[in-house]
Amino acid sequence: MGSRILLRQCVKELRNNNKQWIERAIATNAQCNTNKLVDINKALEVPEAEQESTEKFLNPMEFDRQQQLKKYIAVSSQENIPIVTGIPEEHIKTRRVRIYQPPKNAMQSGTNNIHNWQIDYDTRERWENPLMGWTSSGDPLSNLKVEFATKEEAIAHCIKMQYEYEIQKPNRSQPKPRSYGENFSWNKRTRVSTK
Amino acid sequence: MARVIGLDKFVRLIQIIRHNGGIFKSLRALYLREELKIGTLVGEDKYGNRYYENNEYFIGRNRWIEYADHVRLEYDASQVPVEWYGWLHYKTDLPPHKDPNRPKYKWMLQEHEPNLSGTNKIYVPYSTTRPKIEAWKP
Amino acid sequence: MLRLPLVRATGLSSSRLGAVGLHTTGSKSQASQELVEVFIDDKPVQVPPGTTVLQAAAKAGVEIPRFCYHERLAVAGNCRMCLVEIEKQIKPVAACAMPVMKGWRVKTNSDLTRKAREGVMEFLLVNHPLDCPICDQGGECDLQDQSMAFGNDRSRFTDIEFSGKRAVEDKDIGPLIKTVMTRCIHCTRCIRFASEVAGLDDLGTTGRGNDMQVGTYVEKMFLSELSGNVIDLCPVGALTNKPYAFVARPWENRRTDSIDVLDAVGSNIVVSSRTGEVLRILPRVNEDVNEEWLSDKSRFACDGLKRQRIITPMIKIAGKLQSVAWEDALVTAAKALQTVAGNEGAVIAGKLADAEALIALKDLFNKLGSEVLATEQGFPKDGSGIDLRSSYLLNNTIAGIEEADVVLLIGTNPRYEAPLVNTRLRKGYLHGEQTIALIGPNIDLSYEYENLGDSIDIITKLKNGSHPFSATLKNAKKPLIILGAEQLTRKDGAKIVSETQALANTLGNNVQASEDWKVLNVLHTNASQVAALDLGYGSTIEDVKQQQPKVLFLLGADDANIKKEDFPNTFIIYLGSHGDQGATIADVVLAGAAYTEKTGSYVNTEGRAQQTGAALTPPGMARPDWKVIRALSEIAGHRLPYDNITEVRSRLEEVAPHIVRYGDVEPANFFAQAHELAKQTGGSFLPDPVDIKQKTLDQFFMTDVISRASPTMAKCVQAAIKQRQTEL
Repeated sequence: MGSRILLRQCVKELRNNNKQWIERAIATNAQCNTNKLVDINKALEVPEAEQESTEKFLNPMEFDRQQQLKKYIAVSSQENIPIVTGIPEEHIKTRRVRIYQPPKNAMQSGTNNIHNWQIDYDTRERWENPLMGWTSSGDPLSNLKVEFATKEEAIAHCIKMQYEYEIQKPNRSQPKPRSYGENFSWNKRTRVSTK
Repeated sequence: MARVIGLDKFVRLIQIIRHNGGIFKSLRALYLREELKIGTLVGEDKYGNRYYENNEYFIGRNRWIEYADHVRLEYDASQVPVEWYGWLHYKTDLPPHKDPNRPKYKWMLQEHEPNLSGTNKIYVPYSTTRPKIEAWKP
Repeated sequence: MLRLPLVRATGLSSSRLGAVGLHTTGSKSQASQELVEVFIDDKPVQVPPGTTVLQAAAKAGVEIPRFCYHERLAVAGNCRMCLVEIEKQIKPVAACAMPVMKGWRVKTNSDLTRKAREGVMEFLLVNHPLDCPICDQGGECDLQDQSMAFGNDRSRFTDIEFSGKRAVEDKDIGPLIKTVMTRCIHCTRCIRFASEVAGLDDLGTTGRGNDMQVGTYVEKMFLSELSGNVIDLCPVGALTNKPYAFVARPWENRRTDSIDVLDAVGSNIVVSSRTGEVLRILPRVNEDVNEEWLSDKSRFACDGLKRQRIITPMIKIAGKLQSVAWEDALVTAAKALQTVAGNEGAVIAGKLADAEALIALKDLFNKLGSEVLATEQGFPKDGSGIDLRSSYLLNNTIAGIEEADVVLLIGTNPRYEAPLVNTRLRKGYLHGEQTIALIGPNIDLSYEYENLGDSIDIITKLKNGSHPFSATLKNAKKPLIILGAEQLTRKDGAKIVSETQALANTLGNNVQASEDWKVLNVLHTNASQVAALDLGYGSTIEDVKQQQPKVLFLLGADDANIKKEDFPNTFIIYLGSHGDQGATIADVVLAGAAYTEKTGSYVNTEGRAQQTGAALTPPGMARPDWKVIRALSEIAGHRLPYDNITEVRSRLEEVAPHIVRYGDVEPANFFAQAHELAKQTGGSFLPDPVDIKQKTLDQFFMTDVISRASPTMAKCVQAAIKQRQTEL
């Protein structure tokens, strides 16, 4: 076994034209299998023993299933994912999902974190926990925000999950460009008085 | 010979039962404490709890308390008064009545207060935060 | 571009027409001009000439760090954070102020650029205190973020003499803005905002170099209806929100996109909430409505959501309102409703009512046979009345205001009635050389305007051409008339509408703009008004008073005009969120939700449908308004056929489809028909002068239940009064 692993390593290196390894490969081969010079390419073709053996011992039905799994699985276009996911029906049927682009934080000028689409869920009741005064909620989706690269992906997700969704129109900032010269134009009201 | 046939165990059992005051009292002790032991009575506190010691047992089991009879199954570790606590937990080897150098603090005089869990005097936590919403009072 | 000064110099400069004409043609020719190709980090970008390096980089998707530059303010170029290297130039240039040249290769991440940024950052941090842990801006601070991203990891600043860092005394500039002036990095954004957008030259700098200070110079409060925006603009923690000080960190807040309903503009907001209370409100960019600004009332009145709340239903027992269970309150109200037949029941919808509640209530009362559905703000029913939307909308849209060249304001003070409409007017005044005239009392609009007098028949004079200003108005290419909704409650409201329509019609012939330019605009002050009129609420409070209904349903109506004396034998049901005028006179009080606690549809003054988001759930036993009405209808025996918000909205869609098309303006039409109908209205003007309720700043802050319940707003009123008295 050990020699085989070494052999495989050697073959790999051989492919990378590592000449140093060739000699060692041949040497080990010679040591293990006396007088049998194994073709290196053949060694590669040796199938994985474990794989073969497990398939043999499977019962015919299971074997068929395994064989089928190797092929593509055909799925109907209307998937009913919620049944499989185990999400409680309440959180599928009664939730309203909002698909939106996150707004820019008015307090900051950076915009790197708003170029995606998100979904969030309608607000359910939250209450103050009497012990610590922290906020409790019975809503598992209360803190969930799922991010998507595009609106279409978000919609596809909602359709797949059978959520009732609405799309919030994105607000893009398109201010008119200003020029430095406006501050000093002598005949315009844009002339700056205070500084 | 007695050891070989296990007779010493039987003798020991008889001794323990005798020490505990007969079969019925032993059964009662077994019912209350789930064990039967022989030990020398070291002392008794103000609540009637009895403290025993038997160094044949290994440390950790060689000092024990038999709670006052009237509490029956309603005993718990808080009923051990402060004086005996130290002896029971090997903080000191001298029991309180044999130790003249024990300091006496005021708080030691405090009466034992039973655990109120399960009664209507139970402690209920309450919110210490101010209400977030002020209601309108017409 | 070169022509501009020439034309101005030849005498045309006094006329705004030349300027506007040139302005528009200028932008057109700019569009047709060839684009300039520049390379941002070797990525080619095509931009129009005159674009700054920073904007070109933004187009290429590269964000250049900046402190002083802000898209909506004049370019200052004084923070130097945006220095970038340009190939074949020795020195780095300030990207925010430098227009691109053809073929420039800008390097936004080269060694020189980085070194320049690190140098600027080092200087900034030398004079900036290390108090991030106790700074309210911490977590949403541009300086914090940019020093992490672009700053050096060490500083050469060592205070060997232990003389301490530079420190500046804090200023008291009012009850809204907390100042920690040591943190100021002198970006002058606040100064530029105050002088450009707010129109208040109060802020400025004094001193030079290390002694430079931003402030008011004399002890004075920075009081404006838009002052809160300098908190957002400040890239550091020098100007922070005073009511929010030391309350929360930004990352622990829950942000909910919503709509402001304290005026009829419908500003987009983000509601920051935590632990079941609204902590602050921030503006959200919407280019068509509020740009990036928010009025102080909308921003700071949120603490009114925590006070004076109706958290349980109440019934008047022995002359005193007492808290009861929902069942008792609903049964009592339903019993009263069951006695109603025909127009014996009436509704008055308040300022803050959402369309869902409005439609539910209308359906319920229509089922009872009543048609007396009134809004707090009256509207004349003569002529086209409320049948044609064109006669009650701000038809030309809020964004369209800045394009106008002549604006006539009739009996309105947009500065306090709709501060974000006023910013548009000021923008048009500054950048579009707008001429603005007002019929009404003398007020401070934050820009220069011509006061035509406070007599209402000036409208007729303008129409006939017998007024000196009518020439200006007639020559206007894009004239605009903004009629204050307040004037419509006058006895001669119908006449005012019809005359204004006639004036707009005559001006409409001269309009040299695209087809959809609309001259006639009505500026509302109540957020619920347009939705209510769209849904068919056609009565006024006076109608209700005449009717003397058996049962009066107040949907959050707290107007001072609704008095118990006027309804001696009426059973009054109040549904709302705050205990105020309306709840005091009610026999049954039902606990409703405030605008941050429900998903409600609103239509703003330009006819744009928008929806609020529920940041919280209603407090105590309170419930969203439409649900209460739905429950009441079931007990009263007139079950409304909707059980969830989706069904209510499909009902809304049946009645007025545009209300559920969120974000879009549904434009009005039939101006000519409305005018034709208006011609039939007779009557004449009353001699009373045009008056405006909100004339000074102290009258701005408290206009509805939420702002009346807000302690911050109370402080603002006091501060404004104090400031005015010291100025006198």
